[in-house]
Amino acid sequence: MTRYSFWAKVRPAMTLPLDVLAQRAKGDGLLARFGRDLDLALIVGDGDLDWLVEIERGVVARVTRGPLIMPRSDLRMRAASETWARFLEPVPPPGYHDLFAMRRYRRIQIEGDIRLMSAYLFYIKRLFELLRPREAGA
Amino acid sequence: MNAARAQVEPIVGRYLNLELLGRPHRLYVEEAGQGIPLLCLHTAGSDTRQWRGMMNDAELLRDFRVIAFDMPWHGKSSPPAGWQSEAYRLTASDYSAMTLAVADALALDKPVVMGCSIGGRIALVFAIECPERFRAIIGLQSGATIDPYYELTWLHHPSVHGGEASAAYVSGLMAPTSPATERWETLWHYMQGGPGIFKGDLYFYRGADGDIRERLAGIDTKRCPLYLLTGEYDYSVSPQDTQLAADRIAGVKFSVMPRLGHFPMSENPALFLSYLKPVLAEIKARG
Repeated sequence: MTRYSFWAKVRPAMTLPLDVLAQRAKGDGLLARFGRDLDLALIVGDGDLDWLVEIERGVVARVTRGPLIMPRSDLRMRAASETWARFLEPVPPPGYHDLFAMRRYRRIQIEGDIRLMSAYLFYIKRLFELLRPREAGA
Repeated sequence: MNAARAQVEPIVGRYLNLELLGRPHRLYVEEAGQGIPLLCLHTAGSDTRQWRGMMNDAELLRDFRVIAFDMPWHGKSSPPAGWQSEAYRLTASDYSAMTLAVADALALDKPVVMGCSIGGRIALVFAIECPERFRAIIGLQSGATIDPYYELTWLHHPSVHGGEASAAYVSGLMAPTSPATERWETLWHYMQGGPGIFKGDLYFYRGADGDIRERLAGIDTKRCPLYLLTGEYDYSVSPQDTQLAADRIAGVKFSVMPRLGHFPMSENPALFLSYLKPVLAEIKARG
């Protein structure tokens, strides 16, 4: 057991390129169609690293890299970095290719406002798809 | 207007008026082709359009009369009179009785029956209960039960668009390699589903009523050949789930379909036909 290190928590390994999400989301037709009137504070857990993705009126307004200090959130989706790495493959393997596939095999934790998630599930799934290399600039 | 470029598909649709479960119903039925009757059953919450690829395949239509109907409450079939005061819930016995009644009404002579998902489950029920009615049985995405991994509440709730939610819930069941046009066509059918219908179908699929694990050993494939095909990307009925069922059935022919998911005939019709045609050729050769 190693001693808790504040510095180790500052820059944990990162798999999901959430720092480019806002840029990739700009002008995406699918997000525009399915994001009508959506306000959402989404925490995405990538291993030990949490991100806060804030959606306002269907637009990715802010993406904040953790550590997060007591953030308000509507929905939290967390998986191991190794799981996200497989999800991000251009042709992901069965069981890693979709958020619900990962849920089916207990590879992702989904908690929070499930009503809101259900109403905007196409939008939320699209956010994650945009993180795949092949979706960049598509 | 360029009439020369317009194409009329070989599919013909008609309405069938008949009594089902003791009540009058008006069902939409469509078909194409000639020869061995092949009765196709759509998935939960969808309709006959899932079979459009098969019904437009000229080679297949030379030997098979492909027939599909929208279940009551689905597609262009109406719910029965009085529906506004009822909650729709499919049961195994109702699903079986309705399908057999339609086959009788159309005077189908020992058809091949092929169902997908809930249709794949009821195909197994037919193999257990009435194999003599069929020339062969084909189950797509067939399992004896399923492991629930999501909550059904939001599929039919006044504050959520049930069509969009249902479509989004099933969207990942398709292979990422399936063509986007066919995947989104498949999802459109879900978005158009009647309120609460997908959830009502899942009553059969997820409940104790539809759990047939303990009945599988009673299937005698000598009385009727049984084929099971499952797409590798399906996580609702995964290849492992179908394998668990197949392990209990002597003589069953099971194969996994790479690069397909839960809606093989609709998400990638061309690829699906490449897996299905050898099965149909075998059935045809048996006479």
